Amino acid sequence: MKETQALIERVRRINETHQQLYVTVDTSLTGIKPGQSVLARVGESWNPYLREQWWPVELNKNTLTIERPVGVHYEPGTIVSLIGAIGEPFRFRRTLRGVLLVVYNTDPVPLLMTIPALLANKVSVTLLLLSTNYDTHHLPPEVEVIQGEVSEGNSPIERLNWANRVTTVGWADQVFVVVPQDDEMNYFREIWGLFSELRADIPANFLFGVFHPLLPCGVGACACCEVRLRGSTALMCTEGPAIDLTKLALA
Amino acid sequence: MAIRITRLSKNSLVVESPVMNATGTLGFGDEYRDLIDLSTLGAFVTNPLTYTAWNPATGTRVVPLEAGMLVHTGLPNPGISKVIGQYRALWERFSIPVIAHIVVKAADEMDKCIALLDRESVVQAIELGLSDEISPAETEWYIRSAAQRSEKPLMVRLPFGASMDHYQAAVDAGADALVVCAPPRGTARDQAGRLVAGRIYGPLIKPIILRIVGQLARRYPRVPLIGAGGIHSTQDARDYLEAGAVAVQVDSVTWIMPQVLETIARDLDGMESTKPDESMDDLFGTSS
Repeated sequence: MKETQALIERVRRINETHQQLYVTVDTSLTGIKPGQSVLARVGESWNPYLREQWWPVELNKNTLTIERPVGVHYEPGTIVSLIGAIGEPFRFRRTLRGVLLVVYNTDPVPLLMTIPALLANKVSVTLLLLSTNYDTHHLPPEVEVIQGEVSEGNSPIERLNWANRVTTVGWADQVFVVVPQDDEMNYFREIWGLFSELRADIPANFLFGVFHPLLPCGVGACACCEVRLRGSTALMCTEGPAIDLTKLALA
Repeated sequence: MAIRITRLSKNSLVVESPVMNATGTLGFGDEYRDLIDLSTLGAFVTNPLTYTAWNPATGTRVVPLEAGMLVHTGLPNPGISKVIGQYRALWERFSIPVIAHIVVKAADEMDKCIALLDRESVVQAIELGLSDEISPAETEWYIRSAAQRSEKPLMVRLPFGASMDHYQAAVDAGADALVVCAPPRGTARDQAGRLVAGRIYGPLIKPIILRIVGQLARRYPRVPLIGAGGIHSTQDARDYLEAGAVAVQVDSVTWIMPQVLETIARDLDGMESTKPDESMDDLFGTSS
């Protein structure tokens, strides 16, 4: 963990909703892994006050590719302050053939850095978008993209639908789910309910919830990202962002 | 240079720098080890402690505001015994005093916390965090009770909305220093459109609390005051010292720009409070 300076080299619009920043970073950040992020401060103003959480989608030598919403303006040549790396890398199984990435009503960016890493290791990747507006044309063609639907219903299995649900869930060796930041527990409860219906059991190290709360400090001091586990708590900035849903206190 | 930041007694707390962190900003010990040199501070104030474990809040915990933020954490902590057990060895290695911040909600819990802390030589002072709803009579009762049970200097952080009656009660009850004050409470909408209540942080808080510190410094010239709220620069901290505070506590800027805390501490190293200047009375208003 260090506070370092970085340079925005290039800004590129990739679709209607997102842009990519090519950021030259300090060598301390060149080992950043999928699941980890940085806290960025752009400019000297107190508005915005909080640092932005930047999720890399790719790392090439000392250049991080960061994906951000198009609503925020970034200028090439800008020097930014970064704190990081934030969080723990995703813990992939050693024997892994297929990974399901689920994006439910939120930004997919926290999951995207997994894609080049998994494809490079010949792991199949399926990206399931539920109630999410995200154009995927820039993603590698090897990624299977499924558009799901969220409809009215009394139970998760009635509400969350996509083609070949049982096959998709059965085929995946691991699943990572990202949901809206202010209502994670309700969404993870719904996902847990769905997977409980679609599988005989949910083993440990299979279904992970990915938290991306607003992080004032990023080092575990402010306690703003602390969540309840079964019998303990965990800080998402230092122990997250991915939490095994079998360990989360969902009740 | 030694700066006494609590009332004169056999156990007065003396620090090298008038700059410390506010409770809730640096964690319980080494969370900022890679980003801040804690030895530059005058003291280390722990995150809020309770006798039993408190769970984190659920739902929205942070709402961004114009030049600030609203924070609602639920003050999660594993309970004072576990924290002391986990961090005692680390605190012993600190070159600066450790001040334990206790959340005051119920008398029996506060008494148990103080009994535990009084036995811990690694903790040099206790900071009581009084609740926002506390009355002046309760303020006096809690502080008197705590002061009777502890040999350690007792610092008291009053709520933002505390009246002069509250401060008078704290002084009468024997508070060794007044921390002025807790961040104000507010309500704001989160990104999902729900109203969330919490504490407000940001630079705009400073002018408000600076005025309160100025008033109190004139009313209680012998009571050490620690200015806390909205400090974002060395000049902000210096303003508190000029208003009559003996020391300052820096809060949310530490999260946003960790180096600022260290910079303020280095810039003000050894700087003492100036005596309240009568020419400044008009700037702070009447204290009654």
